Formats: sequence, structure tokens, C-alpha cells
Amino acid sequence: MTLPPVYGDLMPLVPLLVLLVAAAVTLLVGVFARGPVPLGGMAVLGVAVALGFAVAGFLAGVAGEPLPRTLGGAYLSDGLSGALSIVILLGSGLTMLGAGAHARRMRLDHPELFPLLLLATLGALVLVSAGDLIVLLLGLEIMSLAVYVLSAWREGSRTGEEAGLKYFLLGAFGSAVLVYGIALTYGATGRFDLVGIAAAGAAPGFASGGLLLLGAGFLLVGLAFKVGFVPFHQWLPDVYTGAPTPVTAFMSVVVKTAAFGALLRVASGLTGGLGAGAYGEAFTTLLAVVVGATLVVGNTGALLQSGLKRLLAYSSIAHAGYVGLAVLAGGADGARAAATYLLMYTVTNVLALGVLNAVMGDDDQGDRLERLAGLGRRQPWMAAGLTLALVSLAGFPPLAGFVGKLAVFQSAIASGYVVIAAIGIASAIVAVVYYGRVVVTLYLHDPDHGVVGVHRSAGSTFALVLAALGVVLLGLFPGWWLDLLARAPMVLGGA
Amino acid sequence: MIAAAIVLVPLAVAVALLLAPRRAVHLPLAVLGVVATLVLALFADGPAGRLDVPWIPTIGAWIALDATGAGGALLRVAALVMLPTVLWAALRVDRHAHRFLAALLATLAGVAGIFLARDLVLFYVFWDLTLLPGLALLGGWGLAHRRAALVKYLMYAVAGSFVMLLALLALRPLSGAAGYRFEELLAATPQLDPLTQAWLFGAFMFAFAVKLPIFPLHAWLVDVNEQNHPSGAADVAGTLYKLGGFGLFAWALPLLPDGATLLAPLGLALGAFTAVYAMAIATRHTHLKRVLAYFSISHMGIVAVGLFSLHLAGQSGAMALLAAQMVTTSGLFLVAGMLHARRGSFELDAFGGLAKAAPAFAAVSLLVLFGGIGVPGLANFPGEFLAVLGAFAASPLAATLAVMAAIGAGAFGVNLFQRLFQGEAKGAPTRDLSPLEVAVLVPIVAATLWLGIAPAANLTAFEAEAAAGLAAAPPPVVLELAEGGAR
Repeated sequence: MTLPPVYGDLMPLVPLLVLLVAAAVTLLVGVFARGPVPLGGMAVLGVAVALGFAVAGFLAGVAGEPLPRTLGGAYLSDGLSGALSIVILLGSGLTMLGAGAHARRMRLDHPELFPLLLLATLGALVLVSAGDLIVLLLGLEIMSLAVYVLSAWREGSRTGEEAGLKYFLLGAFGSAVLVYGIALTYGATGRFDLVGIAAAGAAPGFASGGLLLLGAGFLLVGLAFKVGFVPFHQWLPDVYTGAPTPVTAFMSVVVKTAAFGALLRVASGLTGGLGAGAYGEAFTTLLAVVVGATLVVGNTGALLQSGLKRLLAYSSIAHAGYVGLAVLAGGADGARAAATYLLMYTVTNVLALGVLNAVMGDDDQGDRLERLAGLGRRQPWMAAGLTLALVSLAGFPPLAGFVGKLAVFQSAIASGYVVIAAIGIASAIVAVVYYGRVVVTLYLHDPDHGVVGVHRSAGSTFALVLAALGVVLLGLFPGWWLDLLARAPMVLGGA
Repeated sequence: MIAAAIVLVPLAVAVALLLAPRRAVHLPLAVLGVVATLVLALFADGPAGRLDVPWIPTIGAWIALDATGAGGALLRVAALVMLPTVLWAALRVDRHAHRFLAALLATLAGVAGIFLARDLVLFYVFWDLTLLPGLALLGGWGLAHRRAALVKYLMYAVAGSFVMLLALLALRPLSGAAGYRFEELLAATPQLDPLTQAWLFGAFMFAFAVKLPIFPLHAWLVDVNEQNHPSGAADVAGTLYKLGGFGLFAWALPLLPDGATLLAPLGLALGAFTAVYAMAIATRHTHLKRVLAYFSISHMGIVAVGLFSLHLAGQSGAMALLAAQMVTTSGLFLVAGMLHARRGSFELDAFGGLAKAAPAFAAVSLLVLFGGIGVPGLANFPGEFLAVLGAFAASPLAATLAVMAAIGAGAFGVNLFQRLFQGEAKGAPTRDLSPLEVAVLVPIVAATLWLGIAPAANLTAFEAEAAAGLAAAPPPVVLELAEGGAR
């Protein structure tokens, strides 16, 4: 199919339009329809169509077709945005499959649920494709506004309301910091686009290195809020615990992937602009310290948790640290490693939180470890699924999580960050303790609570099976994905 | 293709065992799986014994297997030992026996992968994977305090393997090797500067020391053995998985020769100390399984001494000892299981005078025990002799300590036999070996004799690989003497 150039350049926006239409349709149908309507199915269909377009765009790039130049370069569609769009849509679709039944069971099935999830997904796609700080801010706000609402979805629940308020206040604060960073960066370079920032900083006679470094620091802090880097992670355990479980899954995979996409691009543009001198070194040192602290705090924090949801929240902080290793490594290799890790983390965490969602009580409570004791005997399939996910999160071969670790550690070591990688490995050993503790509880502790019921719908079962297959098959045969990434053009922000 | 089948057949049988509904098919299926693996391993010669296909090209990982070398020789011994173990487990394990058998088969598959892998990433995958059936055996069928033992085991194992993972991932970027296959690494890693090599070798050494095990990383083993199912079958699986010595031999020592040279004195010291220290502790314990655990740790000290001698005879001897102790230690654990079946206890005080009522049992146990303490003509002797011989070339002190440990083992072994089988008969008279127990012990006895009388075939395989690994350093002159002593 040959399109006039201007239409070809607009092709990358098609997934966004599909999601927007799906959001509008589900909203209108949800509000005006009488009787039950399969809103979840419609939303998943929209995500699937968007996924088809995203895959087509990604493969076109892999095949070597010239990259479309959308909106004058403000909306990029390189290998990174293609790969992360696929990861985002996959994570979004898988979480939506279980969300509808969950909301009905909790009596929280308001018509806004799926439109908001679709809009958040849309924002996430914009975020990973932003070649321009303004577009980046736009994507971040589209995504965040929807997720603020979703995190407070459990009306009447104190923890739910607290979660929503906390996420909103701290998220707004993070956005404000980010905007300030954008302003400072613009002040230093006169540019909003990442390529321009990198070029301006690298130009001879550039004298505003200090100002750019300050802007870079603010940008880093703003995005660190979203990905959950230490010390900007405090909101994360409370919000993950307070939000409905499907929303927690959504946040931990979609929002995280999107924020990392933005971080990878911004870091690439900024390191290009700051150069290899003292300013550039200061920025990478700052990033290295943040990543190292994230690894240690996330993993040790998870050790102390007695609730599985909170444990997975801390574990998600720790996993942000592992992706951080790839961000630190930088460049195309770092981006490939990060995209690989995020894919593996997405299928694994969807599985873990999907199982948790199925065994939660009717008030969306009951993730305490003691309550799950003996699940291995009572619900062998659920326990096996959760075990599979935890073993993968712990990084055991040959599951998905292992391949992710392989990729990020190799990229970090290849870029010379051996010490941070060693910290990562040491904290991964700690991680085995808390994942292992959960598995031991599932199988070796006697059930001393009542029978834990399992709530399943066709959609959630399908999502669980798909995620479990992904965890195993992506672990055994990751070659094709890595190969596609290796052939995909990586523009990032600086090149 | 045969190489792939060696790993896949036991794995497939393990899965089939989990799914097979009828009790009657469990044992035949498991035996068939082990026999098939053994036969495949015996006939894995020439190009059919090798496999080389890309796995994750961008990382440089290959599915590279080779059943024709030292790993193949060790695998044949391991598969032979697994055969009576499966029989015995089917007899002694009451609850979910098919799952127990599946875990044993999975262990065999994992061990086969460790032995045959010629790609370091693949090796690591099998190395970690084999931990899981071991944990399942301990968690699913262990005794009352298994949870603590399990957590301890998990911590030690994971600490070791993750440290290895870091070194493994650093190996290729630092050396610029084309991939993780052995030949590709060997072409690049020995050129690394000695200090980097020492760091990397140290990481590998840490991981493999946990799994040898040697002091100070041995503590997990004793608890695991004590808490495992009393049949002793799970301990056999654990014994076959104690492959730190093989990891050093096949990967760390040849790939990082300068690092090995720098850290060899530490390895020698730890190995020699372990040999003596574990033997001393073994004499102070009264729980049969703990005694056997320390007994085997002492042998592992000698394995380490042989490996870190960086000497052809020492290294091939260490591998021969590793193979031999798979047979003898496993045999002793099975004997312990048979003793427990008679007295319901592992306390040494519960036994005594069994030889009167069970003379055949006593005779077979004595043979296996003699094999274990290194009596000439039986399994452990050739390996122990060569390992110590190599050690003399490197450090007479370490070798002397190893010899002392071997002598101590001899005295202690005889003493153990006396306490179990001779003296005043305690309790009710016991029955002698049942036909099934005979069937269990026949392969063990055969292997004990085979490895003692005809060690040459295996030693040739070990020597060829050790020589290739030591090519960086000039081969020592004691070589001929060593070969003379072995045959």
C-alpha cells in the first residue's frame, strides 16, 4: 500500500485514534445502554485493533522502511516506541480482560471504567513516542489524569480514597517539577525537541551547561516520580495497595512502561546535550545513585511486607531499578534491554496480580500471606500460576524474568556499570528471600483460615493462561523478540 | 540429536509422571526414563552426541550440548546411580510417589544438562533449574524442620548462582568473545588481564564452592540431608547435583587460567581444611545422615584440592573422585534408607549387631563403605590417589592434610561399620535384604567395582579435557607417574 507521504506520516497516529474511538464508544454505550453490555469486550477489541496497527508499524520499521515523520518529528515512531507500544497494549489488554468481572464483583462497574483505561493507554502511547517535551507532557497528563481517577476507584474505602488523593497530590507535584524542568531546559537550549536539545548542547560555544544540568535534574525527578525511583517512591506502595487490583496491575505494567519510555528518550537527549564533560558525568552519576538506591530500597522494603499486594508494590520498585540499569547503560542497546525487560515484566506481573485478583475477597481485601497459606493444596492451579510468576520475578531461568535480567545486566556491564550491576545482583539475592517466602507459604504452611474462594471469569482465565504461556515461552524462546529489537531502528532522543 | 534426547527424555518422563493417573504405570515409566537416558548416554558418540543450534543470537547464547567428553562420562555414572534410586523411591515413598519420581527424573534431566552444556548461559540455566526439583523434594517430603533447611538451601544456592550470573554476564562484554560457547569464550577470556580474571574466577569459585560444597559454604548440605525424606532417595538426587567441582573443571579453570593461578592457593587451603575439618566433625555426630553428609563434604575437600592443584593428574583425579563419590555416597544414603526402614531411626545408638541377622546386607554395606573410604580396587581409590598426587606437586602441605583426611575416613568408616553392624545386637532381629533391596543395590555394587577396577576409560576422558584446559600452563612432569599409578 503506497500512501501519499503526508498520510504515511500520520499512520503512527492510527492506534491513538482507534483507542480514542473505543473510549468514546464504550463511554456512550455504557452511559446510554439499558441492560448489561460487554463493555470490557469492546474495550479489549479496541486495544487489539490498536495493537495490530502498532505491530504493523513496528515491523515496517524492522523491515527497513523509512521512518514516518509525524507532526514534524514531535511524534516519533522508531523501534523504541514501536516495541513499547506493543508492550503497553499487551499489558493493557491483559489487565482489561479481568477488570470487568472484578468491577462487577466489587460493585464498582461504573461506565467510566473502560473509557478511562483506554484513555490512560492512549496517553501511555503518546508518552513513549514523544520526540518533544511538550508532547511528552501532553502524554503524561492524558495518562495520569485517567489513572488518578482509577486509583481512587474504590469508593467508600478509606485506603482507596487515600490512595487516590496521595497519587493525585504527589503526581501533580511530579508533573509540576517536570514542567519546571522543561522550562529550564528550554531556557538553556531554546528547544523543546529532544534532537534539538542534544544538538544545541553539543554545538560549539554552548555556555548554558549548568542551566541544562539543572533542567535535566528536574526532568529526571519528574519522571522518577512516575517510574517509582527512590527516593520518589513513597506513594507507590500505598497507591498500589489502595487501588483496585486490576488497576494496580495496569499501573504496574502500562504506566511503568510508558514512564520508562519517556525516561529513556529524555535521558538520551539530555546526555547528548550535556556531553561527556563534567555536566554529563554529574547527570549519569545522579542517575546511577538513584538506580542503585532503588534496587536496594525496593528489595529490602519488600522483605518487611506481610501483604502480597504491598510486597508486589515494593517488588515493582525494585524492578524499576533493574530497568534503570538499562537506562543507565543508555543508547540503543540500553533501550533494547529496557524494552525486553519491560515486556518480560509485563507478562509476569499481569500473571501475579491476575492470580491475586482471583483469590482476593469480595471487598478486594485479603492479600495477607497467612490467608494464602495452603493455597497449593486448595487451589493448585492458582498457586501454580502465582508460583510461576514469582519464580520468574525472582529471575530464575528459563522463565521470562531471567531473559529480562540477562538483557539489562549485560547492557549495564557492557557500558561499564559493573558496580551498580553488582548491587543489582546482591539485591536480587535478597529478592529471592521474599518471593521464596510467599511460595513456601503457599505450599508448606497449613491453611489455618477458611477456604479461599477463587473468582474467575472467562476473560480473566483467558488472560491468566495467556500470561502464563508468555512467561514460559518468552523465557524459552526470546530470540525472535531480541532479534526484532536488534533490527529495529532506534532513534531515541539524541540521534 | 542424541545429546538433546538425553536431556529431553527424562524431562518428558518427569512431566508424564506428573500427569499419569494410574499407579501401576508410575514405576515402569520412571525406570524406562532412566534406562533410556542411560542407553542414550552410552551410545552418544561422534557427531550424534553433539548439538549446536543458535538459541538467543543477540546475547550470544547457543543450545550447545556435547555428550562425548568428560561430562558424558560423568552423566553415565549419574544415570546409573539414578536407576536404583528410582526403584527404591517407588518402594519407600507412600505419599504422591509419582511426584517424587517426577522430581528425581527432573533432577536427572537437569544434571544431564549441566554435564552436557557447552554454552555457559545454557549451563547456567540448567544449573539453576536443577535446584527446583531438589527444593520440591525437600519441601514436599521432608521432615518436620524442613522449612528452615529449605530456606537455608535456597539462600546458599541462589547467592552462589546469582554471583555466577554476574560473572557470566561480565565475561563476554569484558573479553569481547563472539558468544558464550566454550570454544568462543576460550579464544578470548584467557587474554583478560590477571586481576580481572581473578575477580571473575573468584565469583565462579564462590558459586561452585557452595555447590561442592567446601568450607565455609557447606552448612546447608547437612541440614538438607538430615531433613530429606528418610528413604535417602532425595539425598541421592542432592548428591548428583553437587557439581561445583565439575563447574570448576569444565568452565572456570580453563576459561580463566590466570585468575585460577592467583586464587589456587586459597582453593587448596580451603579444600584441604574442609577435608580434615569435615572428617573430624563426622566422627562427633550420632545422626547417620549428618555423618554421611560430613563424610561426603570431606571428599569434596579432596576434590577441591585436586582441582586447585592445577595439575593434570590432580584435576582428572578430582573428576574421577567426583564420579566415584556419586556412586559411593549415593549408595551409602540408600543403605541409610534401608537401615531406617528396619529401625525407624537414624541415630547410631539404635543400631548394632545387624550383621548376625542380616549378613548379606552387612557385606554389601561394607563393600560400599570401603568404596567410599578409598580402599584400592574400589570406586574412590583411583580418583583420591590421583587428586592427592596432583596436590603434592602444588602444595605438599595441602596434600598431607588431604592424605590425613583420607586416612581418617578409613579409620572412621571401619568404626562406623562396627557401630552399625557388629557388636551386641540391639532391638528385635532384623530381616536380611529383600529381593527388591538386592535389585536396588546391584547397580551400586557393580558401579563401585567398575570404577575401582577399570577407571581408565573415564580417566582418559577427564585427562583429555583437563589437558586442554591446562594448555595455557605447561603440563607438569609428574604426568607419567600419575598414569602409572592409576592403572
